[in-house]
Amino acid sequence: MSMIRFDNLCKRYESGYEALRGVSFEMDAGEMAFLTGHSGAGKSTLLKLLMLIERPTSGSLLINGKNINRLPHSKIPFYRRQVGVVFQNHQLLFDRSVFENVALPLQVAGYSQADTGRRVRAALDTVGLLDREKHNPIALSGGEQQRVGIARAVVHKPKILLADEPTGNLDPQLSAEIMALFKRFQDVGVTVLVASHDINLINRMDMRIMRLNQGQMEQDGVSYGGY
Amino acid sequence: MAATNSRARDGGQRGARGQALSRIDKWQSYRQHHQTTLKSSALKILREPLQSLLTILVIAIALTLPSALYLSVENIRQLSGGVDASAQISVFVKKGARESALESLTAKLEGLSGVASVTYISAQAARDEFEALSGFGSALQYLDENPLPDSFLVRPLLIGDATRLVTEIRELKLVDDVQLDLEWLQRLDALLDMGRKLVLALGVALGLGVILVVGNTIRLAIQSRRDEITVVKMVGGTDAYVRRPFLYSGLLFGLFGAVVAAIILTGLGFWLAGPVNTLALLYQSQFSITGLGFGGFVALLLIGGSVGLIGAWLAVGQHLRNIQPR
Ligand SMILES: Nc1ncnc2c1ncn2[C@@H]1O[C@H](COP(=O)(O)OP(=O)(O)OP(=O)(O)O)[C@@H](O)[C@H]1O
Ligand SMILES: [Mg+2]
Repeated sequence: MSMIRFDNLCKRYESGYEALRGVSFEMDAGEMAFLTGHSGAGKSTLLKLLMLIERPTSGSLLINGKNINRLPHSKIPFYRRQVGVVFQNHQLLFDRSVFENVALPLQVAGYSQADTGRRVRAALDTVGLLDREKHNPIALSGGEQQRVGIARAVVHKPKILLADEPTGNLDPQLSAEIMALFKRFQDVGVTVLVASHDINLINRMDMRIMRLNQGQMEQDGVSYGGY
Repeated sequence: MAATNSRARDGGQRGARGQALSRIDKWQSYRQHHQTTLKSSALKILREPLQSLLTILVIAIALTLPSALYLSVENIRQLSGGVDASAQISVFVKKGARESALESLTAKLEGLSGVASVTYISAQAARDEFEALSGFGSALQYLDENPLPDSFLVRPLLIGDATRLVTEIRELKLVDDVQLDLEWLQRLDALLDMGRKLVLALGVALGLGVILVVGNTIRLAIQSRRDEITVVKMVGGTDAYVRRPFLYSGLLFGLFGAVVAAIILTGLGFWLAGPVNTLALLYQSQFSITGLGFGGFVALLLIGGSVGLIGAWLAVGQHLRNIQPR
């Protein structure tokens, strides 16, 4: 059974603008894919639908075989606990340490303190920032901050990992490292979907690429035909 | 690198099956979250001492005003309670009434509703008392006839019934004159009634004020923690989880305000105790000020706490909904 399934999905914003027009695709559990397309193509909109930040106008969205179109508001938090997200503007909180930032998803879900400590350190270890747990994230470089964001997105072992322009303002070297990191989560069974228009980079990754154009799925395949 | 990888793999599979959290774990961490939230809410109040102090003082003053008025009314009521018992109606009987007529008048007076007691004072007894008390005894001796009439002292059960009784007694046969010299007591009674209503009105108005003040403080707190709220919602924090710290802040503001109000009221009590005691001594009264007391303190805490909580609840309900991840 597929982990993510879009069925002829449309999203019309309140302004009347149709950001997604009849998008259909499937992703299996443990699959990794890139989402690309011009600016305004609807990449972020698609990820927001997956986070239930936005709701579809028509069509259906199935996660692990369950239709989440009509998931009640009160159930949304519990759905989000199965998903991890990384944003370009990483949204780290600068009033607390790296450790506390990464611990947030666990606290919210009610993990014990001992459990939290163990899992946070494991996540920081994975992104190579174990020695920075007591720092304030403001004292870290852009790439390091992005990795803290990734640690926070995976600390609760989500089934699905979403990333929106995770390498937005990083240099090519750092970007490649971040992408390799995502690949490692795919290796352990997480379904990973990364929105990016860094075409050079994703072409080198040799992975499934879905390309949106004006809100429609224009291309879906392993190699990017680009340009 | 390889070791890290395999550890991550193991964890990933365990997490995916969702077996990681037992019910006991959840309950413990729920309790723990309440504790840490309470602690951090208290710390936040301390971390912004000026803003917090201002809020707490406003709450304290808003609680002090109606409480002080309430205590004043209660004290005056107690004071007048002593006088209440001595409220009496003097009924003077026409001269030359016969013994049997006096007896039937006694029965009629006792039969009136709202009468506590009726005491007969004969003209002779009145004269004796007057001589003994006034020192004008020798002057009276020059008069052939006793100028004082027979009279009755009628005590009403309630001071409020006194006026009605006076009109009723006036209409009885043989009654020459009726005197009620305690009309000021009735006025005081009415005044106290008004005072109590004023306490209620003032209490409600200032209570609403406190709700607004707490609401505004919480609104500012919510705005300054917008980023945090967004992230918490993004990683699966429930509405209750997001609400909790703000509700605790409101509760704490209300409780601290109540404590400060209690301190002000107690200080006020001590300050007034001296003059009041002197006054009481002058009037040979046993009266002394009744303060807030333990019950009053608890009531103040309950009122302050709930008003703070309501203010926070309203602010949270209004402003948290608008903060959604985008
Ligand atoms: N809340 C909204 N209300 C109305 N229109 C919106 C809203 N959010 C996005 N849009 C519009 O929907 C379209 C798709 O936006 P989206 O953010 O999904 O694009 P994108 O592919 O992520 O672009 P970029 O690469 O620039 O991030 C855009 O034209 C945008 O203006
Ligand atoms: Mg975007």
